[in-house]
Amino acid sequence: MRAFATIAAFEVRTRLKRLSTWVYFAIFFALAILWVAAAGGAIPGAIVSFGSGKVWINSPFAIAQTVAFLGMAALTVIGAIMGRGIQQDAEYRTESFFHTAPISKLAYLGGRFTGAAVVLLVILSSIALGGFAGLFIPGIDPDRVGPVRLLPYVIPYLTILLPNLVVLGGLFFCLGALTRKMLPVYVGSVVLLVGYLAANGLMRDMENKALAAVLDPFGSIAMSRLTEYWSIAERNEWLIPFEGLLAANRLVWLAIAATVVGIAFWRYRFAVPQQGGGRRASGSPTAADERATAVARLPVTAQVPVKPWRLLPRMTWMYFRETVKNVYFGVIALAGVLFFITASTTAGSVFGTTTWPVTWQMLELVSGSFGIFMVAIIAFYAGELAWRERDSRLDQIHDALPLPTWLPFAAKLAALMLVPVVLQAVLMLAAIGVQLGKGYTHLEPGLYVHALFGIDLVDYWLVCVLAFTVHSVVNQKYLGHFAMIVYFIAVAAMDLVGLQHILYKFGVTGGYVLSDMNGFGPYPPRFRSLEAYWGAAAALLAIAAYLAWVRGTTTDLRGRLSVACRRFTVPVRALTAVAAVAMATLGAWVYWNTNVLNPYVTTFELEQRQADYEKKYKATGDDPQPRITAVKLAVDLFPSEQRVRMRGSYGLENRSGRPVEVVQLGFLSGPLLNVRELAFAMPATLLVDDQAIGVRSYRLAEPLAPGAKTELRFDLELAQRGFRNSGAYTDVVENGSFVNGVTVLPIIGYQDRAELVSDHDRKKFGLAPKERMRARDDPVGRMQNEITTDADFITFEAVVGTEEGQLAIAPGYLERDWSDGGRHYFAYRMDAPILNFFAFQSARYAVKRDRWNDVAIEVWYQPGHAFNLDRMIAATKDGLDYFTAAFGPYQHRQFRIIEFPRYQAFAQAFPNTIPYSEGIGFIARVRDDDPDDIDYPYYVTAHELAHQWWAHQVVGANVQGGTMLVETLAQYSALMVMKRKVGEAGLQRFLRYELDRYLIGRSTEQKKELPLARVENQPYIHYRKGSLVMVALQDYLGEETLNRAIRAFRDEWAFKGPPYPTTLDFLAHVRAVTPPRFLGAVDDLFESITLYDNRATAASAKERPDGRFDVTVEVFAKKRKADELGREADAPLDDWIDVGVLDADGKALAIEKRRIVAERSTYGFVVDRRPARAGIDPFNKLIDRRPKDNTMPVTLGP
Amino acid sequence: MTATLSIAGLSKTYPNGVRALDGVTLAIPPGMFGLLGPNGAGKSTLMRTLATLQDADAGRATLGELDVLRDKDGVRRILGYLPQDFGVYPKVSALEMLDHLARLKGLSDRGVRRDTVDALLQQVNLWDVRRKALGGYSGGMRQRFGIAQALLGDPRLVIVDEPTAGLDPEERVRFHNLLADIGESVIVILSTHIVSDVSDLCARMAIIHRGRVLIEGEPALFTRSIEGRVWQKAIARSDLEAARAAYPVISTRLLAGRTLVHVIGDEPPATGFVPVEATLEDVYFAAIAGRHPDLPALASPEREAA
Repeated sequence: MRAFATIAAFEVRTRLKRLSTWVYFAIFFALAILWVAAAGGAIPGAIVSFGSGKVWINSPFAIAQTVAFLGMAALTVIGAIMGRGIQQDAEYRTESFFHTAPISKLAYLGGRFTGAAVVLLVILSSIALGGFAGLFIPGIDPDRVGPVRLLPYVIPYLTILLPNLVVLGGLFFCLGALTRKMLPVYVGSVVLLVGYLAANGLMRDMENKALAAVLDPFGSIAMSRLTEYWSIAERNEWLIPFEGLLAANRLVWLAIAATVVGIAFWRYRFAVPQQGGGRRASGSPTAADERATAVARLPVTAQVPVKPWRLLPRMTWMYFRETVKNVYFGVIALAGVLFFITASTTAGSVFGTTTWPVTWQMLELVSGSFGIFMVAIIAFYAGELAWRERDSRLDQIHDALPLPTWLPFAAKLAALMLVPVVLQAVLMLAAIGVQLGKGYTHLEPGLYVHALFGIDLVDYWLVCVLAFTVHSVVNQKYLGHFAMIVYFIAVAAMDLVGLQHILYKFGVTGGYVLSDMNGFGPYPPRFRSLEAYWGAAAALLAIAAYLAWVRGTTTDLRGRLSVACRRFTVPVRALTAVAAVAMATLGAWVYWNTNVLNPYVTTFELEQRQADYEKKYKATGDDPQPRITAVKLAVDLFPSEQRVRMRGSYGLENRSGRPVEVVQLGFLSGPLLNVRELAFAMPATLLVDDQAIGVRSYRLAEPLAPGAKTELRFDLELAQRGFRNSGAYTDVVENGSFVNGVTVLPIIGYQDRAELVSDHDRKKFGLAPKERMRARDDPVGRMQNEITTDADFITFEAVVGTEEGQLAIAPGYLERDWSDGGRHYFAYRMDAPILNFFAFQSARYAVKRDRWNDVAIEVWYQPGHAFNLDRMIAATKDGLDYFTAAFGPYQHRQFRIIEFPRYQAFAQAFPNTIPYSEGIGFIARVRDDDPDDIDYPYYVTAHELAHQWWAHQVVGANVQGGTMLVETLAQYSALMVMKRKVGEAGLQRFLRYELDRYLIGRSTEQKKELPLARVENQPYIHYRKGSLVMVALQDYLGEETLNRAIRAFRDEWAFKGPPYPTTLDFLAHVRAVTPPRFLGAVDDLFESITLYDNRATAASAKERPDGRFDVTVEVFAKKRKADELGREADAPLDDWIDVGVLDADGKALAIEKRRIVAERSTYGFVVDRRPARAGIDPFNKLIDRRPKDNTMPVTLGP
Repeated sequence: MTATLSIAGLSKTYPNGVRALDGVTLAIPPGMFGLLGPNGAGKSTLMRTLATLQDADAGRATLGELDVLRDKDGVRRILGYLPQDFGVYPKVSALEMLDHLARLKGLSDRGVRRDTVDALLQQVNLWDVRRKALGGYSGGMRQRFGIAQALLGDPRLVIVDEPTAGLDPEERVRFHNLLADIGESVIVILSTHIVSDVSDLCARMAIIHRGRVLIEGEPALFTRSIEGRVWQKAIARSDLEAARAAYPVISTRLLAGRTLVHVIGDEPPATGFVPVEATLEDVYFAAIAGRHPDLPALASPEREAA
């Protein structure tokens, strides 16, 4: 053991003396500080948070996240230090010293391993130290810091980092020791990274979460999974326990590592490998020597000056061949393909249901998920190529060859640039294979080539140049690799700390969204410009790399500088000047686009604008304003110019009861909007013209008397100009325009909802915290509906013009269409009052038509996207059947679903018109024979159809709970239609996702969670919890009874307002039909945040003589109520909860609602068939964070 | 061309303060030139500097019209270089590797290149194993491969850095034969710390120590200048220190358990010293010890011993 300790101590001592150790330490320390400081608000522009701004930056959860995340970034450091633990002796040829020393294999291997692990712990301790030091950075918001505790800093090291060191470190250590090379170590780290990415991809399907958590070698998915349902308060207070999936993950990986280490230990031999094995060359010297030495003079060797241009392709090919023609590259390519295939199984998955593998989706996988992988490969092959001759100690011979310095340099760079070409080709074939494998035959090889080689490859080439430059300049292989990691983190972190301009993020070209409808859309000008700009930058980098390139044995700074000066010859200077001028010119061009043609606004400045809006205009917020009663529009869409012009008028009426003196108009597009004309029908003067914020106000010459009417005429234009720094104008596009009226048209009056919401953001700008929404009895809020605050029900007509060849749609009925001057016009008029909520669409559509009674059903779709039209139409018919019977008549004669490009992924209900993104539903691949697939095109359609009642007939007031009346009721309506189609079991599958998303949603709440009936436009509540609550309610009351109450509510409020209804009005109808014993449940469901911890504790059965079974089940029940941050308290139990017995297929053999008042209780059943499971709330109708333990297997006794 | 390589005032100090070259001035005519010196004398620094692999701080080196320090491309075109320590791609055969290097040296004509490579492989006696992977070569074979690559492209300046270190006697002989074959019109600089390499091969030589040239000239003349002035005595090992203090000792070595001491002087320094025939080894040790008569006066024994 002495030798063990001596070896370990020597390893530690020598490594702690090395600069690189402390460079790693310093970088992780700095990253941790930066991370915490950004999350803590010390960096003004930063938008980092640990899921929610309410989670303290030094909470156990936040610390664990920081340690786990930065610990993953330490992968290469672990590889470099652990991999070299033994391999260094091979590299420095010191093996024989140790192999011949009187030490055991265990002491040698174990000592080195321990030493390396200690050094790594020292380095990685910087994460916790930096995370702690970050708390004391000036400017940290004290509200974001919780009490300082020691344990939260220690525990993640024990549960995450130390196991990672042992597991990953052990694997790397063995790879390095057995192969005596570092390349396998890097390949190993890439494979592990792929494992992580693949596991992450699997997460899209909820059923795979546990598998993903175990597969992730870093344990971070397991940790996230363990804490995903923790509320804010729990994240702040609870230490992360070593249990469940986290423990399973760690144990599985420790076992894997132990196996590998064991094999390595067994295989490792204390012997210097013979050079070239036993194949010592045979030609032993004999008499032949004499002949040889007597050979005559050499032939005259016609040596001619080297022709570099002829040698370049040759050398490039040689370097390239040596890079790819080995087992390691094969492993990488194979790992890539495997990853791709794994990821493709869940690509685009919604509710665990996949999509057809359309080309854009395959491309998104290749360039998105796979991108990080590609970049890692480039980074490490850059090191291999740069160090190739030096690693084989051929450098002196090579450097003395009569070749210009740039030649091997250029050949290596070119070979490096060929690496992504090969991998892209491999991935392209894999993608096409996946498409064919899934039976998708609409192959688009041209599109693949365009995207993979015409666009993505350029990005990779930029990385190639950067990586090669780094290795040339740093001239230390491992530090070079690490410098690349720092670069990637820096680019990712810049956004988060407010440095958001693309001009200073090397290699970032802005990306694109590929759409079947609109191709590359508006993105090419931006990415081509940036490619050119960074291309010029890359030329400068390459020059720098050339100047810094070490040829010969001069490695000291002074020597290298003088070499660089000598290489900086006139042609090189000229090239530098050209590249610099090109970069400056292209940079100016980009700047002109992003900052002159378009306003450049960072996230911080957007918030600033919101704060300014509130500070300047809140004071006049309560001044009376007229309301919009009629909208008449002439909308001109210019798809190929990406321009829209809206001319028309608002009919205005003063319904405030007070005279209106000043009318305030707001414009969402602010400075982008071109106001050609804006005038009232009565004299008025422009009082405020605040283009930056988008506010204009007019003083009416004569105040508008209560009840009086006037008109606002406008001529407004919005167009894409150049390209923006981030995002793009995708409302009007070449094919597939979708313009919401509100993006162009004026909004009347001050908008509360435009104010900053989060307390933290408000504080940044000196604003007091505010409530997100008005209380339910707020008199102002009750006079507005929650869809639009400046109108009630309006009349609407619009003429929409578009380019010839496209069809244009607006709400209403088409009265006529005509062509004029190469444009096609469509005149729409709505025959019934609608909300002030409308949009315009235009594209080259195919249309599928059907009917339900007298309602015309139309689906306008992109040709080729016909997969689910029948499902959509079926949902429409089923929905119309159900809704008209249960809730009341449909107010329109038409129902249209209209596809739009996937720049946004939602469907949205406008009057009789549903814009529906190509990204959801249209390409869904619902396999009817797979019970796990959820027919979400059907569900989404039913939901949007239901909005024709819930929103367009009855709309909630602009107060707390308003969105429940719109979204929760639509959700309920859709689920009832679904239930008829797929049955209870199908519904339950869907609800499992809803429960999952609700629980995750509340853990990332930014302000406070509210009970459903007071929801403040929180999607995880009004959709997700809404589904669960309404299904539970219909279970208590019965579907018929509940629908009766809903119908009565609709009848009371349809097309009425102001005042608009609130959830109090709705719940009054519900309570009216609720039996007294369930009134408590209604309160629990709607008026408080109620969670259950129900589980089965014992279940047994006996077969009776008559062949039936006696089942006894013991259950545990607990009800808890949570406050707005999720702090829970036990609540007294007096609840009616299902208790039941299920068969092997999960069908109920017996299920009864039992009144449960005690935590533990026992129930008996007699069932007809063999019982499989039994327990409490077996179908998870109540919200329970561990739904799976509600039932347990029944043990069959004698 | 039969130009002489003249080196004047070449100096190099490494960033860590080591003065590797300290005003080295040499004239190296065509033919075999031996550069003799102990480990760390600065031989490799000088060789690498001449082989364009690193820069000197000061000094000049010219070969005819060619400025060896500045016109690196010019030097590389006529250079054959065998570094002291070099590796090979273990999985590549000698033939492939040599062909590849030949191409890089500008032998672009396929036929000529093949003839050259074949001839070289035969000359260095690797013909039979030319298709074997270099990783399987013994030290001597590898060294012969090294000289083959250095001779590619008809070099006029061949620099061979410690080529015989680690070779067995047989391989060394073979290697010497190879070097001797190169020809008289080419400058061959051979650095070594093995005296017999030089005495066997070189018409001219220099001894270099601590970055300085101690003596430069023909080996035979050096030997002659101490002829009859070298004395030898066998003493007990325990008496060595006393002997060093008492006599101008130039070298000691063990023979059958006794220590043989060589001293230099016009007379036998004491009884028991017998004259021995002067060898180049005595020249070398005398020079290193600062006791060779051809040395410039400034090198005093006391300074060397310090």
